[in-house]
Amino acid sequence: MSAHPDYEVVIGLEVHAQLRTESKLFSPAPVRYGAPPNHSVHPICLALPGVLPVLNERAVELAVRAALATHCTVHERSIFARKNYFYPDLPKGYQISQYEEPLATQGWLDVAVGPDAEEELTRVRLTRIHMEEDAGKSIHDAAVVGSGVTHVDLNRAGVPLIEIVSEPDIRSPEQAVAYLRTLRSVLRYIDVSDADMERGNFRCDANISLRPRGRQELGVRTELKNLNSFRFIQAALEAEIARQAELLDEGGEVKQATLAFDPATGRIRVLRLKENADDYRYFPDPDLVPLILARERIEAVRRSLPELAEAKCERFQREYALSAHEARALTETRGLSEFFEAAAREHAAPRSIANWVLRDVLRALNERGVEIEQTRLEPAALAALVRLVDEGRTTTQSARGLVPELVERGGDPAALVGERGLEAVSDAGSLEPAVDAVLGAHPDDVARYRSGEKKVLNFLMGQVMRHTQGKADPAAVRRILVARMEAEEDG
Amino acid sequence: MLSPFANLSELRAALDGREVTSAELVEASLGRAQATRDSLNAFVRLRPEAARAAAATADARLASGAPRSALDGIPVAIKDVMVHRGECTTCASRILEGFVSPYSATAVEKLEAAGAVIVGSTNMDEFAMGSSTEHSCYGPTRNPWNTACTAGGSSGGSAAAVAAGIVPAALGTDTGGSIRQPASFCGVVGIKPTYGRVSRWGLVAFASSLDQIGVFARTAADAGRVLEVIAGHDEKDSTSVPEPVPAFAKALDGDVSGLVVGLPREFMVEEGLDAGVLAAVREAVEELARAGAEVREVSLPHTEYAVATYYLIATAEASSNLARYDGVRYGRRAADVTGLTDMYTRTRAQGFGVEVKRRIVLGTYVLSAGYYDAYYRKAQQVRTLLRRDFERAFAGCDVIATPTSPEVAFRLGAKTDDPLRMYLSDIYTVSANLAGLPGISIPCGSAGGLPVGLQLLAAPLREATLLRVADAFERRTEHHRCTPPEAR
Repeated sequence: MSAHPDYEVVIGLEVHAQLRTESKLFSPAPVRYGAPPNHSVHPICLALPGVLPVLNERAVELAVRAALATHCTVHERSIFARKNYFYPDLPKGYQISQYEEPLATQGWLDVAVGPDAEEELTRVRLTRIHMEEDAGKSIHDAAVVGSGVTHVDLNRAGVPLIEIVSEPDIRSPEQAVAYLRTLRSVLRYIDVSDADMERGNFRCDANISLRPRGRQELGVRTELKNLNSFRFIQAALEAEIARQAELLDEGGEVKQATLAFDPATGRIRVLRLKENADDYRYFPDPDLVPLILARERIEAVRRSLPELAEAKCERFQREYALSAHEARALTETRGLSEFFEAAAREHAAPRSIANWVLRDVLRALNERGVEIEQTRLEPAALAALVRLVDEGRTTTQSARGLVPELVERGGDPAALVGERGLEAVSDAGSLEPAVDAVLGAHPDDVARYRSGEKKVLNFLMGQVMRHTQGKADPAAVRRILVARMEAEEDG
Repeated sequence: MLSPFANLSELRAALDGREVTSAELVEASLGRAQATRDSLNAFVRLRPEAARAAAATADARLASGAPRSALDGIPVAIKDVMVHRGECTTCASRILEGFVSPYSATAVEKLEAAGAVIVGSTNMDEFAMGSSTEHSCYGPTRNPWNTACTAGGSSGGSAAAVAAGIVPAALGTDTGGSIRQPASFCGVVGIKPTYGRVSRWGLVAFASSLDQIGVFARTAADAGRVLEVIAGHDEKDSTSVPEPVPAFAKALDGDVSGLVVGLPREFMVEEGLDAGVLAAVREAVEELARAGAEVREVSLPHTEYAVATYYLIATAEASSNLARYDGVRYGRRAADVTGLTDMYTRTRAQGFGVEVKRRIVLGTYVLSAGYYDAYYRKAQQVRTLLRRDFERAFAGCDVIATPTSPEVAFRLGAKTDDPLRMYLSDIYTVSANLAGLPGISIPCGSAGGLPVGLQLLAAPLREATLLRVADAFERRTEHHRCTPPEAR
C-alpha cells in the first residue's frame, strides 16, 4: 500500500535521539542505561531549590556533528529556552530546550526508497536540529508498582537529546521508514547516538495529513506518538492514512489530535484532542548564556567527521565498480564498510570480496542479530578464505560453510580447511567413482544430455557435489562428467 | 564589655587581641536573637549546637594565632533563601516546610570556609517576593527603630539582625531592592553587587536574571570584607562573571576629591518622595561635595518604565522558577488527594502565600501565547534602553546618588491591602537590578525618628568605587554609628 489513488499523503517526522555522552546535558549525573531507579541523579536533575544548569560541552560537539552530517547550517549563536508544563517526570516544571534560535536549520537526507536494486533516491529536507534535555519516566504499570499509584524514575531526566525535525516532505510509510533508517545510520556512523529504538534512545513522532491530489494546501494533521519500532511505524502510518482517507471519503473532517497506535489490535487510539495548541510559554532560559560557536570550532568539528555513508557509497561505486544497491548495502554501517575495505585491500578482486560480504557474511550477521564489530571474523581471514577458493584449494560450497564458524569463533581459514578435510578434490582418480555412481543413478538424465539438453549437466554436477559433500572441484567434475557422457556417446 | 553594636572590624580586633572568644560572641548573639524573638522576629531558625561547635573550632584556630580570614570566629546570619547542607531552608514558605538541603550555596560555603559562624537563618518575604517582610509564613519582622513599623523587605530579617546588634554582618538577597531598601529602613549598610559577582548556586531562585546575594553590615569597610569572601567566579553558575575579585576593603582612604556624583533629575522630584527623605539625601550629597566630589545632574530618561519592566520580567521568571514546588519530590504535599491535578492544585494552593500566588499568576500571563510579545519581549527591550541610560550617565560620572526609598519605614499593615502601592516603593532600586549594576544603601540621617538611606549606584564591577564613596561619607558623619533604642 504505497500511493493512495485519491489523496496525497504528507508526513513529517520528529525524532528524538539520545546523545552518547558520559553525563547529562546540564548535570554531572552519569548517563547509564539500566541503573536502579533514581540512582543516576544529582541535585540539578532533581530540581532541588537553588540549583543551576551547566552545559555539557561534549553534548554540544555531538549535536554539531549531527547537524553537519545532515547538511544543516550550524548557527554561531543559539539560545536555550524553557518549555514550561507540569508533569511528575519533569522535575523543574519546565524542560530546557531550544525554541526561537535553535542550533541548526535547513539540512537534508537523501533516502533510497523502492524495491531492492531498483531504489530511487529521494530528498527529505530537515527543518531544524536542536538540543534539549529528556524527561524522566513515569511508571503506571500496576503489575510493577501496584494499582492507583505511579512511580517516577528520574534517571533519564536531563539526558541530552537532539530533536531532528523533518519538513513534511515524506509521501509514504515506506519512505518514512527509509528516512528513519538512513537517519539512524548517519547518527551511528558519527558516533553521536546509539540510536537504538528498543532502548528508547531513538524515538519518533509522526505528523500525518492527507490532501486531494493536486491541491497545494495542507490538510489537517494528526500526530502519532510512541512509535518505537520500524515495523510498528509502517503499520501505524498505514492505519492512520486509512483512517483519515475513510473519514474524508465520507465527507468528514479530520480533527487535530494526538494519537497512539496499538500494534496488538492494529487500531488507532486518540490520546488527546488538540482543539487548542498547548501553550508552553517559551522564553530564553535566564540561567544560561547564549551558546556561541566560533566558525573555526564548527569547521574543526566538520574536519573531524569520518567519511559518511553517502560519500563512501559513491566512492565504493567508483573504486570497486559496485552497483548503487551493493554499495548502499556495504555502507549501511560504518563497521561493515570498514570491514569490507580492509578485506578488499588484502585481495586482488574487491568485487569478489563484495559478493562474499553481501551474501555470506551479512547472512551470518542477520541470523545472529549482531553487528560485524561484535564477531570474531577478521577482514584478513575473509580475504584468505576467498583466496583458497580462487586457488581451487577448496570449493565455494565448503568455504561458505565455514563462514558462520569464522564469524562466531574466528580462526585461520587454511587451518580449518585442513582440520575439516575440506580440501577440494580434483584428481580424476578420486572423482571418477563419484561421477560413475551419479551417471549410473540417473540414466534418463544422461540420455537427455546426449539428446541435446546440455542444461542437465548442472543437475548432474550438483549430484556429484552432493555425493562428495561439496568437496569436489566443480571445474574438474564438469570436465569428467562431460568427458564420460560424450565418450560413451561415441560408443 | 563589647557593645552588641560593635562592627566587624572591632570584633576582629577584640578576637585577635584575646579580649573575647568566638564562643562568647556566638553565645551573646544567640542570646540576643532569643531575647528579641517576639519583639523583632528577625530569625526564623537558630542553630545553637552547630554554631557553638563552629565557634569552638574557630577559637582553636585563634588560640594558635592562625585565623582563616577577617571573618574567622565572627557570628553571622544568612537569609532563609540560601541552602545550607544539613539545615532546613524554607524561604519563609509553607511549601518548603521541613526541606533539608543536601548541599550548601557557594556563598554559604565560602563564609564557612572563611571561619564565619552562621548562627541561624533570617526572616524574609516568602520566596523573596515583597518589600516589607510581611509576606512570611513566620509573621513579619519588626523594625528595631520602631517595632510598629516594618523592617523593609524582602531581606527584613537580615537587616534587623544587624541593626539590632544581633550579628555584625548578614547575607541577604536583592532582586528589585530587597537588600538596599531594608538597609535604608533599618539604618545599616546594605550592598548588592554587580549581577554575576556572587554565585547564585544554592540561592533559591525568584527571578534568575535579577537575583543577587549581597551583604548587610554596620560599615562600608565591613560590607567590603564580607563581599570579598563571598564573591568570585563559580563554574556551577553559568551567569557568574569570570572577573577576579578585588580586595574591596583595601584602599578605602576617604579620598573622593575629583570624583563625580551624578544626580538623576528623574529621581529627585518632590512628588511622591517624603520631604524628610529628600532633605536628608540632599544634605548627604552636599556632604560629599564638601569632601571634594563634584556633583552633576544626569538623566535616566526611561526611569518611568522601570517598575513596570521589573514586575513583568521578575514575575515571568518567577512563575517558571516556582513550578518545581509541586509536591512530587520534596517539601509539602497536600494530603488526601484524588489525582494528579488535585495534588498539584491543592499542594500549591495550600503551600504558597497570597503574594507569591499573585506573582505566579501575573508571570504566567506575561509569558502566555498572545501576550508574550506585548509584555515579556517588550519589557526585555525596555530593559536594554534602561541599561543604555546608565551607560550614558556613567560616561559622565563615577557614581549616581539617589534616595534608596521614597519613604522611611512604613507601619505594619499600611500597604498589605494595596499590592501596587507596595510595588511602587521599589521605584529607586529596581533599575539597578534591571541593568545588573552594583548598588549600596548607607544610612544618611533620619526623618520622623526613622532612618533614611542614601543609595549609590556604579557601573558594572565598580563595587570598590561605591565602597570608597560610602566609606568617605562615614568618615565625615555619624549616621552609621546610630543605634536603635534597645529592643525589649
